[in-house]
Amino acid sequence: MSSWFDYTINGLVVGNIYALLAVGLALIFGVSHLINFAQGSVYSVGAYVGLVCITYLNTPLPLTIAIVLASCGLLGILIERIGLRPLQGRTRIAPLLATIGISLVLDQIVQLVFSAQPRALPSQVPDWRFVIGGGSIGALDLLIAAIGLASAAVLFAFLRFTKLGWAVRATAQDREAAQQMGVDVDRVDSAVFAIASALGGLSGLLVGMYYNNISPAMSFQATLKGIVAQVIGGVGNVPGAIFGSLFLGLTESYGIALFGTSYRNLFAFVILILVLISWPNGLFGGRRSLPPEPLTGTFIAPSRPVLLPFWLVVALVATGLLLPVVVTSPYVIQTLSNAWLYGMLALSLTLVAGTAGQISLGHAALLAIGGYASALLALDLGLSVLVAIPLAGLITGLIGTLLVYPAFGLRGHYVAIATLGIGEIVSLVILNWESLTRGPIGITGIPPLAIGKHDFYSAPAVYWLTFAVLVGLALLQRRLLRSPLGRTLRAIRDDDVAARTYGINPNRYKGLAFAFSGFVAGVSGAITAHLYSYINFETFTSQISVLALTMAILGGLGNVFGAIAAAIALVGLPEIFRVASDYRMLIYGLALLLLIRFRPQGLFGTV
Amino acid sequence: MHSPTNTALPEPLLALDHIDTFYGAIQVHFDLSLEVGRGEIVCLLGGNASGKSTTMKIILGQVQPKGGTVTFAGEAITGLATPKIIRRGVGSVPEARRLFGAMTVRENLLMGAYLRSDRATVAEDLERTLDLFPRVKQRLDQRAGTLSGGEQQMVAMARALMGRPKLICMDEPTMGLSPLYVERVLELVRDINRAGTTIFMVEQNASLALQIAHRGYVLQTGRVVLTGSAQELLMDPGIRDAYLGGEQAA
Ligand SMILES: Nc1ncnc2c1ncn2[C@@H]1O[C@H](COP(=O)(O)OP(=O)(O)OP(=O)(O)O)[C@@H](O)[C@H]1O
Ligand SMILES: [Mg+2]
Repeated sequence: MSSWFDYTINGLVVGNIYALLAVGLALIFGVSHLINFAQGSVYSVGAYVGLVCITYLNTPLPLTIAIVLASCGLLGILIERIGLRPLQGRTRIAPLLATIGISLVLDQIVQLVFSAQPRALPSQVPDWRFVIGGGSIGALDLLIAAIGLASAAVLFAFLRFTKLGWAVRATAQDREAAQQMGVDVDRVDSAVFAIASALGGLSGLLVGMYYNNISPAMSFQATLKGIVAQVIGGVGNVPGAIFGSLFLGLTESYGIALFGTSYRNLFAFVILILVLISWPNGLFGGRRSLPPEPLTGTFIAPSRPVLLPFWLVVALVATGLLLPVVVTSPYVIQTLSNAWLYGMLALSLTLVAGTAGQISLGHAALLAIGGYASALLALDLGLSVLVAIPLAGLITGLIGTLLVYPAFGLRGHYVAIATLGIGEIVSLVILNWESLTRGPIGITGIPPLAIGKHDFYSAPAVYWLTFAVLVGLALLQRRLLRSPLGRTLRAIRDDDVAARTYGINPNRYKGLAFAFSGFVAGVSGAITAHLYSYINFETFTSQISVLALTMAILGGLGNVFGAIAAAIALVGLPEIFRVASDYRMLIYGLALLLLIRFRPQGLFGTV
Repeated sequence: MHSPTNTALPEPLLALDHIDTFYGAIQVHFDLSLEVGRGEIVCLLGGNASGKSTTMKIILGQVQPKGGTVTFAGEAITGLATPKIIRRGVGSVPEARRLFGAMTVRENLLMGAYLRSDRATVAEDLERTLDLFPRVKQRLDQRAGTLSGGEQQMVAMARALMGRPKLICMDEPTMGLSPLYVERVLELVRDINRAGTTIFMVEQNASLALQIAHRGYVLQTGRVVLTGSAQELLMDPGIRDAYLGGEQAA
């Protein structure tokens, strides 16, 4: 059994690693008002550059560190240049989505080059341990602490004593005024991305040596942890990010000591949500007002949606219905059924993110809730599948709304972070609530889709069912959007202050939007569960959330028909053309990047 | 040094010729032309949203005009990046002061000399500038955000001087100040001008600006509708109704 001393040391070491990530996030947010979702990808690139140096080039440690810093710094400059600079002047959510796209691309490249298998990253630090009291401290622990301290000191000196550092601070406070003093703000952006990425890469190297294990999957969690640490310390606050990181590291370490490893991340995300809601300036931030975060829904590039004539809609629905008669390949039919299920998810998200202007990054959680609800209703209560699915939809609408409710006061980036955190919490609760969800084992033997005594085993039967549900939900949603409710939602999205002055209570309408959205996604998750007959806490991953957002944007945010078309384009086409799944995330990432850059209104226009 | 005169000298320090500016599809300037002679104080008058601040941004290269040219000290500067324009000797006091609130007053002043690399002379200039602004001198190590509005205006002007500009563009330097501070600011602008710096001042309050200006232009929805010496403008019945009457309201 490890001692408290050991847990403290571990917490501080992990906190230092988080700090290297979070400081960069804070710098970038300070200067560009952007949450950089690619930070974790740079971190994993740093780890893999370290791997190449250590195992193939046999470089000594200082050289390894230098190479990691330099290559990740360059990568940061590249990210800023390609992904973000062209988006200057756009709404803030645009660069945020661009960083998500960049992170998908980078993660996928790392995976293509090094494979998804975890690799050992040998530590280059001798395995000395110094025994102190009841615990011990290793040479690597000390090295990480020293690097953390040294980085903080260098950063402090840079900001305080160099001309570029002054420019960074001035730009963070008032970009336009800094420009009027002659600061080249583009160069400042570049510099900040270089620093953030260099430190992030270093963090990846250290974490790899600390756990002697790296994998491409480490990227996403790292981004999340960096964001949590930053939120704890106050978004955009550099010293705050360091304190927030240490706080998070220690909390996690003590939490593991008390409750076990599988709770680790749960702590992080519960803290995230609590801090976001109760101390939006961070635990260490003053009572300063939040950095201005105007306009929830301004990502909605104004455009004229493409209106489909009635006869075309009828023709498309008829084609959809008749397709299994013509196309006999069960593979194609299955793929399209899958696309219809994703289409429901896209419908659900396009309502929340488009019509209501709340960019949700945790939508896969709704699928999970729906899937688990329906599976458990059918298995534990013995309800028939036909009853369980809509009931699961209702339950998802209810739970989803209750979960997001505390976050209704947030806007813009904060909504995106909060929904991301809530989504993670859902999957961690599923993992840990064993008595209900069966924990890590998952649920097996979920009864198949059936009407009465007729099981839906054949591909066309599943196809027709999913297609009918999709069309039904789409019509319902279209109806809703054209009603006064839809208009009110758009009014809140475009200007919730003005909406308030008309006596509208935005929270009630956001609640309605999330409830309907939850129902639609819940039904999709429920059908999926019965199709798969087995689900676990990892069935509906956060990658699905990102994919859903890409679909909603591709179709045109708020656009019902667009959401469905995008589901076919992003899920159906790669499958039918048998694009290797390794390349799929690459395609999604590139699609997201290109869309945001060249066609933010999507294929069919925003509504 | 040239002494101030009432008419522009043959080669003006700053000239805007036939400027057309757009924000997206919305046109802000229509064939805007104006000149500022060496040693002059020239004011640009106009109501809200007439395009005054945008004129400053055009001069500083923060907004690019769709048509027309900007000439500074005889050379075209249209399309140059902001730092290059500032290097040639253009300083600015932005609208609403825009200090770096979390930085100290000293750091703010040194930011004004951001593009200068001559450390020793910058330090000298700091001393000299502070002599002009005794109140600022007492607050050197205070965060700029904690100063009063009037004090912030002083810092903003001192900051502009730190770049050793030939021309200072000021955007509504008296906005939101108490009458006492308004007087101080106007006096300082005059002093700065007498010491050899040309001033281009954007103002809504015509009667104030014309107290110290040599010449003025009146901008209305992006068009120059009137120009002349300060006296002529003060006498003009149109401007009396439109702007001087607004003084009580302000
Ligand atoms: N960045 C921008 N994007 C779009 N439109 C802008 C932008 N900046 C200014 N405008 C518009 O251009 C017009 C002129 O603005 P400008 O700031 O130059 O006016 P102003 O004369 O300085 O007004 P004020 O006296 O209120 O400061 C206004 O209608 C304004 O809404
Ligand atoms: Mg203005």
